[in-house]
Amino acid sequence: MKKKRFDPEKTIYAVVAIACFFVLWWFLTTFTPVKNTTPDPIAVLKLLFESFYTPIGSKVITGHLLVSLRRVLVGFGVATVLGIILGIAMGTSKWASAIFKPIFELLRPIPPIAWISLVILFFGIGETSKYILCGIGAFTNVTLNAYTGAQNVDPELVGCARMLGTSERDIFFRVVLPSCTPQIFAGMQVALSTSWMAVLAAEMVGAQEGCGWMIQRGSDTLNITLVMVGMIVIGLVGMLLATLMRAIERRLCSWNIMEG
Amino acid sequence: MSKNDEILVKVSHMTKKFGDLLVLNDISFDVRKGEFMCVVGPTGCGKTTFLNCLTKLGVYQLTSGEILINGEPVDLAKHNVSYIFQEYSAFPWQTVEENVAYGLKIKKWPKDKIEKQVSEMLDMVGLTEYRKYYPSQLSASMLQRVSIARAFATQPDLLLMDEPYGQLDNSLRYKLEDELIKLWQHTGTTVIFITHNIEEAVYLSERILVLTNKPTGIKKEIVNDLPRPRDVTDVAFNKLRDEVTDLIKWW
Repeated sequence: MKKKRFDPEKTIYAVVAIACFFVLWWFLTTFTPVKNTTPDPIAVLKLLFESFYTPIGSKVITGHLLVSLRRVLVGFGVATVLGIILGIAMGTSKWASAIFKPIFELLRPIPPIAWISLVILFFGIGETSKYILCGIGAFTNVTLNAYTGAQNVDPELVGCARMLGTSERDIFFRVVLPSCTPQIFAGMQVALSTSWMAVLAAEMVGAQEGCGWMIQRGSDTLNITLVMVGMIVIGLVGMLLATLMRAIERRLCSWNIMEG
Repeated sequence: MSKNDEILVKVSHMTKKFGDLLVLNDISFDVRKGEFMCVVGPTGCGKTTFLNCLTKLGVYQLTSGEILINGEPVDLAKHNVSYIFQEYSAFPWQTVEENVAYGLKIKKWPKDKIEKQVSEMLDMVGLTEYRKYYPSQLSASMLQRVSIARAFATQPDLLLMDEPYGQLDNSLRYKLEDELIKLWQHTGTTVIFITHNIEEAVYLSERILVLTNKPTGIKKEIVNDLPRPRDVTDVAFNKLRDEVTDLIKWW
C-alpha cells in the first residue's frame, strides 16, 4: 500500500536500452552501406552541441525549441479547456450530446495535417494557424476522453452525494469532475503527443523558425545530420513533456495510482 | 433501544406502479424516532423499490399515497436523510477521513466539530489507523464501514440501509452488525434496514416489517423485544426467526 516510487531496476533497463540503440546506430552507420546516406551518432551529437551556440537560420537550437514549445502549449492548453467542457457537456447532457456528437464524430477522424490548407486559407501563415493546428490535434483526444469519463460516472456516487445534501451544481464539481479526471489525463497524454506532431507539420509549411522548420531546412539542403538533430530534440522534449504530465497526474490523481 | 413514542416517519397508502405493473400496494406504517426497523420479504418482492420510494429519489415518485417526516412531506433539502447502498459507495478520490467528513462539509459544520465527529466515527468503526488511506487500498468490509461512518456522521434524522452487508461473508457480517448496533445506540439515529437475511433482521431490529410477494404489501409487523446483546443460538431468537421464515415462505 505504497505510492509508486523511483524504481532503480527499471531505470537501469531504460539506460541499457538507449545505449544499445546508440550502439546499433553507430554500428550500422560505420560498418554497413547505411553509412553512405546516414550520419553516425557522434556527428549528430556534435552538431547538436554546436547548435546551442551556433545559430541555425535566425536562432540557436534553444530558440527554435522555445518557439515550437510555445506553439504546442498555447494550442494544447486552449484545446484542453474546450475539449473538457465539450466532452463533459456531451457526457452529462443528452441535449449537448444530440447537438454536438454527430458533428464531433464527423470531424474526429480528420487528422490535423489535413486541415493545413484550410487553416492557412482562413488564418494565413502566421502564428494563429500554428496554434490552431496544434489545438486540433489535442482537441479530439481530450474531448473523447472527457466524454467517456463523464458517461462512466458511477450513478451510485451521484445518488450518494445527493443524499448527503450536495446541490446539483456542486455534484458536477464534487463528483463528476473528480470521477473523470484520470480519463481526462489519459486523453491529455495522447493529446500532447498529437499536438507535438501537428506543430512539426505546421512548421514545415510557411515557417521561419521552430523544430519543424529545422527539419525541413535540413531536408531542403540535404543536410541529414541537421534533420536528425531536429528529430532527437523532438524526441527528448516529447519524452520530457510526457514525464511532466505523468508527474502532474500522479499529484492530482494519486488515489488512482496507488499500488495494492 | 428506542423508548420514544414520537412518530418520525409516517407512510400512508404508499402505492407505486410502473406502467400497469403494480409493485407497491397501499402500504401504511409508522416508524418511531430512534427505532431500528428491519424490512424483510421474499426475493424480488420490491424491497429496494420500497426503499427508493421512501427516499423519493429521481424517478421513484409515488403513484399515490404520502410519506411524512416529522409531519411534513419528505424533502431532502430539509430533512436529514442518509442512505447506505448495497454497492460500496465511498468516493474513490477521497481518503477515508475525507469521505467521512464529506456530508459534514456540505452541511457547513465548523472545522473543529468536523474533526471531532470524524475522529469519533472512525474510532467507532475501527478505521482510525486507516484514515489517510484511499478506498482502492481498503478491503470490502472496510469500504462498507466507511459508508456507514459517513452516513452516521451527519447525524441523520433517518438512515436507510439497503442490504449493506449482502456482499460480505458471515464472520465479517456479524462483526459489522455489532458495530452497527453500537453506532445506533450511541447516536440514537432512526434506522430502516432492508434485508433478505432473516437472521440479520432478528439480530438487529426492534421491529420487523414482513412484506408479501408482488404486488408488495405488509404481511405482518412483528415487535422484536429480545434482550441485547442477542444470541443467535438462543431459543427465543430461533423461535422468532422461524416465525418470520414461515411468513415469507414461498415454497
